[in-house]
Amino acid sequence: MIPKKLDFENLKIESPDSLPKMERRKFLKMGFAVTGLLAGGKILSLLSIADESFASSKEQYPYKPHYSMLIYQNRCIDCELCMEACVKTNNVPSYGYRTTILKRKVPKAVEQQVEFIPILCNQCNRPPCVTGCPTKATYKDKQNGIVMMNYKKCIGCKTCMTACPYNARYYNEEIHSVDKCDFCFASRLSKGIATTACAEACPAKVRIFGDLADSGSEVYRMVHQVEKTVWVIRPESGAAPNIFYTRG
Amino acid sequence: MKIFKISLIFILILSGLYFFMTNSLLAEQAGSEDIIIYTKPVKAVSFNHKAHSEDYGISCNICHDKLFQMEASNVEKKGDFNHKSFSKGKYCGACHDGKKGFAMDKQCTRCHIGAKGLNKTGKK
Ligand code: HEC
Ligand code: HEC
Ligand code: HEC
Repeated sequence: MIPKKLDFENLKIESPDSLPKMERRKFLKMGFAVTGLLAGGKILSLLSIADESFASSKEQYPYKPHYSMLIYQNRCIDCELCMEACVKTNNVPSYGYRTTILKRKVPKAVEQQVEFIPILCNQCNRPPCVTGCPTKATYKDKQNGIVMMNYKKCIGCKTCMTACPYNARYYNEEIHSVDKCDFCFASRLSKGIATTACAEACPAKVRIFGDLADSGSEVYRMVHQVEKTVWVIRPESGAAPNIFYTRG
Repeated sequence: MKIFKISLIFILILSGLYFFMTNSLLAEQAGSEDIIIYTKPVKAVSFNHKAHSEDYGISCNICHDKLFQMEASNVEKKGDFNHKSFSKGKYCGACHDGKKGFAMDKQCTRCHIGAKGLNKTGKK
């Protein structure tokens, strides 16, 4: 099935209060992380971190480090400094992007009438792009879980682009290959820099990059707390994404 | 009778013209731009001058020249046009503290129109 284009206008974002605290506690006790996305008034997804969300059921977080990103969606002001930093760091051409910001109008809102949301590759645990690739040009790194590209193997069939639920891939004419976000692995992480270019460039601290397997990290703490709702985009795709959204 | 009619029309046209001219003169005095767009330090923030001075009934001397000069974008050159200053009560922060005006710790996009909002205005 070809996923529909990511359309922020029609993505319902749960308000932090829509799921009562007691309910969240209950779910957490049952071993569920609340990653709810409201669809027609119902919580669509309560992903069990242990079983469903991750490929391996024995280990909660199969990768070490288990790179992930937490996004404080309501802090995003669309200044696009993250996008500029990404373009510079990873030589992204003007016709493509590794990360972008979507905008939507909230016409019924009394006060704030616009919302922004940053998107990027969700480094899924069950990546549909990897499954679809006929040449293994795109693969999930066994150690850190990043969905990588081997540019030499890419034949430009664009199957991965169609399969991606997050519109996070583009065809790079210069290198004759599909390109995508690798959490700045090639440009930064592999050189010992601790964070991605976009997270570093954000002046509003919207993007928190970290290790989900490290209980001391902000990403871990936010995904496991019960006060605020944390959600993922398109949980119904079953891809088990590693980009989490919250407000605050 | 006829002469009276013609002169009446003449007077009407003249007074219309006068009204039009003074109006645009006044508008010029009060700053030609109704909405000022800031792009520094970040893209982009919209300040509705007309709404602040007319709709919210804030008189000129509350903002001029204690908080702002009468020159669009002058404040961008100061180097401290940011939230650190706002939280100390400078610039927009003189009012947007949750008391006189809405607070700045949420509803970011009421002020921040972003790069996409800036593109829409056609400015650079
Ligand atoms: C809520 C605060 C506020 C009030 C009230 C206010 N102004 Fe301003 N005014 C500003 C700001 C902010 C600027 C832009 C300054 C900058 O960008 O450095 C400005 C700019 C101006 C400018 C320059 C515009 C341009 O295009 O260069 C003029 C003229 C001006 N104001 C006149 C007035 C007059 C007359 C009044 C009263 C009717 C008034 N202002 C009330 C905040 C205010
Ligand atoms: C002198 C006080 C004062 C200053 C200074 C001031 N504001 Fe306001 N502002 C107000 C008041 C009062 C309102 C209307 C009440 C409310 O909604 O909080 C308002 C409303 C607004 C709105 C809401 C408009 C809308 O239609 O949603 C925006 C946006 C805004 N201000 C931005 C700014 C920015 C940006 C600055 C600095 C460049 C600024 N204001 C400086 C007093 C002020
Ligand atoms: C009342 C209007 C207003 C509100 C609300 C507001 N800002 Fe701002 N913000 C400004 C203005 C004015 C500037 C300076 C002009 C510019 O950078 O274009 C600014 C600048 C910034 C900057 C760059 C300078 C700095 O201080 O670091 C960041 C980042 C920022 N805002 C983030 C936010 C976030 C996040 C929120 C919501 C939690 C927010 N703003 C809410 C008016 C506002």
